[in-house]
Amino acid sequence: MATKPIEKDTNVFVTGNEVVAWAALAADAQIMYGYPITPQNEIMHYWTRLAPKYERRFLQTEDELSAGFTTCGGVMTGTRAFTATAGPGTILMQEPITMAEMMRIPLVVVVQQRGGPSTATVIYSQQEVNLCCYGGNGEGFRVVYSTAGHQDLYDYTIKAFNTAWKYQIPTIVLGDGYQAKMREAVTMYDPASRGIEMEPTKAFVGAEGCPGVDREPRFYRNTYNTEEELLDVVGDLKAHYDSFKDEVVEYEDSDIDDAEIIVVGHGVVSRACKEAVKALRQAGYKVGYFRPITLRPFPQKQLAAAAEGKKAILAVESALGQMKRLITDGLYGMTVPIEEYFKPGKGVSSQELVEKVKSMLD
Amino acid sequence: MNDLKRIMLAGEGGQGVQSVAMILSEASYKAGKQVMYIPNFGVEQRGGVSVAFMQISSKDPIGSPKFDDADIIVALSDRAVSRVKMFVNPGTIYVYDSAISDEARKELPAKDEVAELVEISAHEIANTELHVRVFNVIIMGAVLGLTDMVPEEDIKAALEKKFAKKFEADPSLRDMNYTALRKGMELVK
Repeated sequence: MATKPIEKDTNVFVTGNEVVAWAALAADAQIMYGYPITPQNEIMHYWTRLAPKYERRFLQTEDELSAGFTTCGGVMTGTRAFTATAGPGTILMQEPITMAEMMRIPLVVVVQQRGGPSTATVIYSQQEVNLCCYGGNGEGFRVVYSTAGHQDLYDYTIKAFNTAWKYQIPTIVLGDGYQAKMREAVTMYDPASRGIEMEPTKAFVGAEGCPGVDREPRFYRNTYNTEEELLDVVGDLKAHYDSFKDEVVEYEDSDIDDAEIIVVGHGVVSRACKEAVKALRQAGYKVGYFRPITLRPFPQKQLAAAAEGKKAILAVESALGQMKRLITDGLYGMTVPIEEYFKPGKGVSSQELVEKVKSMLD
Repeated sequence: MNDLKRIMLAGEGGQGVQSVAMILSEASYKAGKQVMYIPNFGVEQRGGVSVAFMQISSKDPIGSPKFDDADIIVALSDRAVSRVKMFVNPGTIYVYDSAISDEARKELPAKDEVAELVEISAHEIANTELHVRVFNVIIMGAVLGLTDMVPEEDIKAALEKKFAKKFEADPSLRDMNYTALRKGMELVK
């Protein structure tokens, strides 16, 4: 048997795509299915380079539809499997993701957002929030972790497998082209060394015995005949989602209590928000910071509590309001104004946020 | 004190901008600094201006991967001069190679628009005194001299690692690389 890919803590200076490949190895993923698209290609490249050394496998499919469905198939055999994509690939990935929602398949997808609409840029954006949270023909029964850098990519790729298998829910690690291509320091570790046990996998198919005779038959369906039947099924899916969402929801905040303005950003943009809030605090401005880590489920109660009585919220994102929509939905009924700082497909720096917040307060 | 340095290197594909950034950022990381490096990239496989964004600090973690204002800009070609324009600010140390055209010189910032405007003849030195292939090592020396954040020894160690086989096969290459590094540092003194 091959040794563990990461035995002891290892500090490295690498790209985010490499981090994801290592994290999936450390999480004991057995196979990746994928189709190339920039900026996630190197996840596949590193995986294919590393996989044979640790007795893992890889299948290149003919497109993202196929990559998503083969991943679902792998998962149904009880194999910890994943895929990765971006941009137009995330659109094609919706059909397999909705099947995973319907059949409660623990599908893990890593998305490295690029510019949109259409082919747009291969560089960066935060324009795949709608797609990842609610992109299918359904109700968005998924978990979406929005990462802010390499340590997150490592931690949440591992966590995504456990969330997916524990709750039997498709789980997305939402990164972006910056995180994919940038190099920064990260500590890679064996999950066991952090007390993280990998959720056991179990096969959906291939059980012993004759169904209906030796054991209960198992039905994995994504097709229903009547409206009434579907109404019940979707109701059950919702009840299941609601049963665990409070356990899964994650966020990060600082400097909330006496703040007049709360700067809200997710993913890599939250780094600029955090840095700007730090600089503004040093200059005497009363500003707070809030970052939703799970975009689905959204930390609605936590943000509502943070926003209570504030002068304004500043929603910052590299998209035209895809995160803001989650905020407005979450804060419905509150009167706190939400200001916008939107730069679709373009990075946000702390310098410009400092100026923006000053203009709101001075 | 936050001594964050935001560094932008821009040149033509093949001038080695990304390898300079890669070696410098790795050496800075090994020297215990907080480091972020991201190359620009687009759909084109070649022919674009190659830009590297680097940030180095002694203490504070790095925020966003890219930035608006650069503390140090190194522009190595005509097109690079146009590409870096919007990153220039009054605090910028602006370095450009003397081989750019008169046309490009017109696009350079005025002396009083930046903290320093430095012309270096890296191209010429590489071509006449050393070897065209150490052009980027001269640039590395210049950036090293300007940032003053990474010990020269760490960069040398990084070069040793990167060119181990070549140095072993021909030790004179080591001397040439070290000379180029030193020249680069002297150019900005």
